[in-house]
Amino acid sequence: MSVLDSLEEIREQALAELKSSKSLEELDQLRVSVFGKNGNLTSILRTMGKMDPQERAAVGKEANRVKQALESALNERKEILLRAAQQAKFELERVDVTAPGRHTLPTGRIHPMTQTYREIRDALVGMGFSLFGGPEIELDENNFTLLNLPPDHPARDMQDTFYINENVVLRTHTSPCEIRALKSVKPPFRLIMPGRVFRVDEVDASHSPVFMQIEGFIVDKGLTLGDLKGTLDTFVRAVFGDEVRTRLRPSYFPFTEPSAEMDMSCTICGGKGCRVCKGTGWIEILGCGITNPHELENCGLDPKEWTALAFGVGVDRVASLKYGISDIRLEYENDARFLRQF
Amino acid sequence: MKLPLRWLKEYVDFNVTVDEFVEKLMWRGFEMASVDPEMPGVSGVVVGKVLDIRRHENSDHLHICSIDIGNEILQIVTGAQNVSKGDLVPVAVVGSVLSGHEMTKVNMRGVDSYGMLCSGGELGLTDADYPGSEVNGILILREDHPLGQTIQEAVGLDSIVFDIELTPNRPDCASIIGICREAAAALGQPFREPVIPPVEGTGNESDYASVTVKNAELCPRYTARVVTDIRIEPSPVWMQKKLRSVGLRPINNIVDITNYVMVEYGHPMHAFDLACVKDGHIIVRNAYENEIVTTLDEKQRAVDPEMLLIADPEKGVGIAGVMGGLNSEITENTKAVLFESAVFKSSNIRRTSRVLRHTTDAAAHFIKGVEPVNAGLALDRAIALVSELHAGTVIGKTIDVCAAPLEDRTVEIDTDHVNRILATDFTPQEMADMLKTICISSRPGNGGLTVTIPHFRTDIESGIEADWDIAEEIARIYGYYKIEPTLMRGDTFRGGIGPEFAFEDLIKDTMAAQGAFEMYNYNFTGPAALDALRIGTDDPMREAVKILNPFGEDQSLMRTTLYMGMLDSAARNWNRHTGQTRFFEVGNVHFDNNDVLPEEQKKLGIVYFSESEDFFSVKGTVETLFDACSIPGAVFRAADRPYFQPGQAAQILASDGISVLGEIGRLHPDIAEKWDLDCPVYMAELSVSALMAASTGVKKFTPLPRFPVVQRDLAVVVDDRTENAAVSKIILDTETDCTISDVELFDVYAGIGIPAGMKSMAYTFTLRSDDHTLTDEEIHAAMDAIIANLASHGAMLRR
Repeated sequence: MSVLDSLEEIREQALAELKSSKSLEELDQLRVSVFGKNGNLTSILRTMGKMDPQERAAVGKEANRVKQALESALNERKEILLRAAQQAKFELERVDVTAPGRHTLPTGRIHPMTQTYREIRDALVGMGFSLFGGPEIELDENNFTLLNLPPDHPARDMQDTFYINENVVLRTHTSPCEIRALKSVKPPFRLIMPGRVFRVDEVDASHSPVFMQIEGFIVDKGLTLGDLKGTLDTFVRAVFGDEVRTRLRPSYFPFTEPSAEMDMSCTICGGKGCRVCKGTGWIEILGCGITNPHELENCGLDPKEWTALAFGVGVDRVASLKYGISDIRLEYENDARFLRQF
Repeated sequence: MKLPLRWLKEYVDFNVTVDEFVEKLMWRGFEMASVDPEMPGVSGVVVGKVLDIRRHENSDHLHICSIDIGNEILQIVTGAQNVSKGDLVPVAVVGSVLSGHEMTKVNMRGVDSYGMLCSGGELGLTDADYPGSEVNGILILREDHPLGQTIQEAVGLDSIVFDIELTPNRPDCASIIGICREAAAALGQPFREPVIPPVEGTGNESDYASVTVKNAELCPRYTARVVTDIRIEPSPVWMQKKLRSVGLRPINNIVDITNYVMVEYGHPMHAFDLACVKDGHIIVRNAYENEIVTTLDEKQRAVDPEMLLIADPEKGVGIAGVMGGLNSEITENTKAVLFESAVFKSSNIRRTSRVLRHTTDAAAHFIKGVEPVNAGLALDRAIALVSELHAGTVIGKTIDVCAAPLEDRTVEIDTDHVNRILATDFTPQEMADMLKTICISSRPGNGGLTVTIPHFRTDIESGIEADWDIAEEIARIYGYYKIEPTLMRGDTFRGGIGPEFAFEDLIKDTMAAQGAFEMYNYNFTGPAALDALRIGTDDPMREAVKILNPFGEDQSLMRTTLYMGMLDSAARNWNRHTGQTRFFEVGNVHFDNNDVLPEEQKKLGIVYFSESEDFFSVKGTVETLFDACSIPGAVFRAADRPYFQPGQAAQILASDGISVLGEIGRLHPDIAEKWDLDCPVYMAELSVSALMAASTGVKKFTPLPRFPVVQRDLAVVVDDRTENAAVSKIILDTETDCTISDVELFDVYAGIGIPAGMKSMAYTFTLRSDDHTLTDEEIHAAMDAIIANLASHGAMLRR
């Protein structure tokens, strides 16, 4: 058998074995049997030194061709086997994508009341309002008297008050912040005053002795009832969505004149009438009005020069409406199964 | 305020549907609480005729009737003994409702009964509603009712009663007259105000009675009139019906007249048996010390000198504005009556009512506010009714002790100002026309409007507020819904959340990122909760603000710490297995500092509770919070708090080592047990304002190290009470030529190889230079210096 024939035989045999190789190990053995120190191709190459130049050139050329063919076939086969091995590994590593995820540090929750407060706040901040705070324990004077609720005023009965002493109360609304603002901030201004307020209300599904309000207070020149209506409509729709309709109807608060309440179309039934809106299609959302001139006068502002608009929103109430929470007590029980939903 | 539609129709043409009326009133500022049927709790009861009646075979008292209800003949078993063939009777058919119960087919001793014949009582009727309603047995109807007619139509109670919510500024509408006046305006119909015919009395009133008012401030007007030859009898059916329609029980003609006038005119009246008033002399005076008045409800009431009494020269005969005295009550034997219609000061009656813990319809009216002109009208109306009902002989004239002005006030209104407030453009004449619809007369002139405020509108001021008051009336009449919504014009405002509120957001968001849930707990606590936390009597946490009128002892204090509320909620979650064990709250606590207002502090509270938490998981959260809030170098210093387990508690200070940021610790297991928390509980409380003060706020860039750092570890053997802070500081403070940083304790070991009472502390730290790469020699020198420094402090290198 000529050397060239041997080379051809090596090539054919190796290619055949290569095709049937099942693993990287087999492939490696094959590579060693051809290219290894004692490999059959190596052995042939080793004899080339003894050949005459003409034969050597022919054998060298052919050997090179075989070597390249085999190397490329080996690599190709290796690639196939590698991919197969990886595929097998992937099969082993297949996961049930519907199984629960692992939570090393599950995220916490911001209370729905805080979330609601932030939504209201952010809507109003976007309309040029700034935040302003006041204490939860207030002077009777700020909570009532200067707000046009002198000691004998019958409307004091509207708000059952916790007293600390005859001059100090747990604030029954965020309105005393108006007095603090009037006395310390130079008009014009637009402020929102969030905070807890307190009323002597026994706890039930819709009453809580502690709840959260946001007061809005605007002092400027030439403000009108139309401005109040437009501002509140914009704000309510910013919080509840543009599909909501609002209406302003007359009401009474000692600290505003004219006074109004704003209703919005029921978010549950869309205004058709349901249990939540008691069939009226409307839900009361806030109280508001043009600030009573006595309040401005009490704080040293000329009510003919300056006009103030005021409104108060119950954050608990908005949260209840927004999320459909039927029992206000849940908001102060802090049951994680409740909090987790927000 | 109850307004029967039937009554409304006497004064106003009612030309709309009920729904339209409800909406029209709403636009006037009157919300409808409910619209109720005149006959509550009854539906589906119809008129039927007894075609046949025979004895029940298995009973000695039941009868089987055939009843024709117009479109159907029903078999009904009844136990009543007063029904005869041909009678018309009320029939509660199957499916009808009687006082909330739905009627079903029943079997009575083997005979099916398809409904029930009703008595007047079962329908809630009295003789005044329909004659014969109170007989013992079935109500027998008059014969002229068509069969199948509803019982409501048959007895004439098929109308409705409006229940209207009133705002405190409109006491005038707490009367049929007042609310009808508004209703007429809302309906756009004329208001037919009733005319009270004057009654000429006989004789001279001073021969019978006199009135002395000793405190005109508390009683600005007292009017009275004497009626003799009284005939006590039931009031007429029309009056009884009307009283019942607003929920009042008819008693007798004299009492009913006073009640009727109270409903109609909104002014409470009282009738005294004149024979029981000594010398007929009424004295309105403050009560004496230790005086006792027995009121109509037969209760002895101790009155005090701030209370106003109606008295005669010897004794009290009534507590002004609240309740009459038993000693001058109208009885069947009453021969002469003194009708009282007076004005008592609202705040005084409110106090009396509150102190006596007793309220009446009359007191409620006085508290809402009454006015002197109406007091006179009410008396005139009562006397006109006496005359109309022939209840007695009216004597002389009205006795009137009046210190109050009775004239209508006038006020000048700046109509331009009103238009500016409302963003409207009405002429003075247009405004005058609008006001006229609510019975306010006015006259346009020199750029404004001269408004005459009628006596009943006590809510409209004569002073500065008048423009705003009238603006509100104009807006109500015009319709709030017609006011064009506008957005405010003028300067642009920057707006913004501001640093304090933004800082609170940052705290909450960081806590949530640590896996904690936000809590909202009430601000109330009680001494027992402070005791449970073992807070010492002289601890500042005991300086809680006390509530004068709390719900109870356990809610009588404003919290001085967030701990109790948070533990309550934590325990709730633990017991309910909610699976959540990390919570936080941001809220205010208060301390009584003997100043006018207590000190208010905003706190962040943290509670972690489960077997998988430990001191360092809570501390880790606090450190993360400091990181997020840009608070570098906070110091944790071992401390004792009565509620924390000894050895696992620390005070947290700012980097200055002085300002207190808060505290952290493991809740004492004995205290945790009190809250039924049978797991380790870790808590922290931090002052939000202190955190904000410690925050560096503005973030500044420090250049990154340009030369490589070298990390080195070492371990030292120290006394087992030695703190990490001390060892770290020694390493950090060592004087070398390189910068030492990132000193971190990574292992603590005690046991084999370490002497008893000692521990090994292993540290890792970095060495670097800002201007070159450290050489081996420099690193060795630094390590030697550190080791020597540690050794000089007694911390020997562990080899």
